[in-house]
Amino acid sequence: MTDRVNKIGFYQDLADLMNAHPDWYETLGEVDFTLGVVMADESGSDLRVLLHFEELGCAEVSPLPEGGEASCDCWLEGDTASWAEMFDDIASNGRATGKRTINSLTLVGDHIDVRGGDPMGVDKFFRFNQTIQQFLDGAAQLAPASA
Amino acid sequence: MALATDESVRELPEMTPMGNPLDWSWLRGSRAEWGMKPTPGRRGLTMMDIATGAYGEVLDDPPYRSMAPRGADIDEETPDMGYILNHKSQVWADNVIELYEEAVARQWSSTRDIPWNELQELPSDIEHAMCQLCTVLTEIEMIATDLPAKWMWRMNHHFLEAKMFLATQIMDEARHSDVFRKRALANGGGLLLSRSEPESLLRSILEAKTYTQASALLHLLGEGFILDVFRQGELIAPTHVEKKIFRLSMQDEARHVAYGTMHIRQAIAGDPDVADEIHEALDHGEQFLIEFGTSPVLSSALAVLLGGGSEHVEDKGFPMQSLLATKIFTSYLARCERAGLNRIDRTDLPLDLLGIDIDSFDRNGV
Repeated sequence: MTDRVNKIGFYQDLADLMNAHPDWYETLGEVDFTLGVVMADESGSDLRVLLHFEELGCAEVSPLPEGGEASCDCWLEGDTASWAEMFDDIASNGRATGKRTINSLTLVGDHIDVRGGDPMGVDKFFRFNQTIQQFLDGAAQLAPASA
Repeated sequence: MALATDESVRELPEMTPMGNPLDWSWLRGSRAEWGMKPTPGRRGLTMMDIATGAYGEVLDDPPYRSMAPRGADIDEETPDMGYILNHKSQVWADNVIELYEEAVARQWSSTRDIPWNELQELPSDIEHAMCQLCTVLTEIEMIATDLPAKWMWRMNHHFLEAKMFLATQIMDEARHSDVFRKRALANGGGLLLSRSEPESLLRSILEAKTYTQASALLHLLGEGFILDVFRQGELIAPTHVEKKIFRLSMQDEARHVAYGTMHIRQAIAGDPDVADEIHEALDHGEQFLIEFGTSPVLSSALAVLLGGGSEHVEDKGFPMQSLLATKIFTSYLARCERAGLNRIDRTDLPLDLLGIDIDSFDRNGV
């Protein structure tokens, strides 16, 4: 997954999947949440992406400029290898398992952190956590070629 | 829609056939706010959509103390219902209307939404630890039902949305008591020990002298702590079934914390002297929370789950518990700062023992 998770197209594919299946998210309820993903790579191919969740879908996937994460409710910051490991687990098991769920990864260890300029924005990560996890679990549904 | 004309009203009877008086003045419409016609958004018609004109004007000191709906033409003779929370800052939070809509949209069912038939047989120590954790959680979650219920009927009905939000909290907490009770029983285990440690914390919340003190103890301190316990629960959940239970509960709890944080902020902004009474309540509450968080039953059960079994409580369980305690209290202190309450300079929490370095503490919680 390492070669895919640091491409913005991967997150657009996840958004397209979410938007194609609002019924999967209906019982979880509507969301209004802007999440940044900031991924650092030793090779220098960093990724900074903004994900805006609205109602039952992901309304926007766009590049996040340097420092632009301040415009998000909160952002997830970590190294590409940890993200790849999480998505590998999702692809293998159909969903994130054990300590590789996004809540667990941000709770222990120091590979992926949830950050924000306002605790109220960070708390949105918890308020919409099941939706975010389900969005990420969508990676298991993506065809390898397009993922 | 046009108002009825004076002419048509004049033709209507003044008494019922039984001889009781009739009042047709409502047929002329409300004095000022007839015809607002809010537009539904894509989600439908939300409370934010209808908060227009007088309907959305939440006064600091509403003139009535009755159940009359805000925005209606209210009879001057409307009775006093005996409300004691009649100032906006005593109950309100700037985010409460959005939180109410969010709560309504994100309700879930412990019966329908948890895949109970996918629970797996677990090693005996793990099953016992999970059942013990669920016993504690099913016990303490009802406090957040009892507490709002104790105060809601004393809140001026002008602050309707705050009361509606607290009603969702009551439902959320009932569901948490329900789901953890179900989990304790559903995998062949059952409820285990109920010890006295939680009772001091629960009693201090219930017996708080003011609603704002109670809210600080419940929403900011207690639920902030339980939010992090749910985060830990999701981390240590042995299967995806428990993970979903903890994630869905976490979402609910985070809404309550969001309300409490912003309510305390509003309360202090409305009356800076309130900060002292909140500090006083938290001085006691933090000690009770430490007592509860380090209780022999809860901490041993969490250590087994965090360690992945009783054989790893010392090399994995307790060290991880200690690491997570740092996160719990860092988040709590950051939320206090956000609420406008400087606890860092006042708290008696053992910050050194908790691994919190005040000098490097970012008061934004970043």
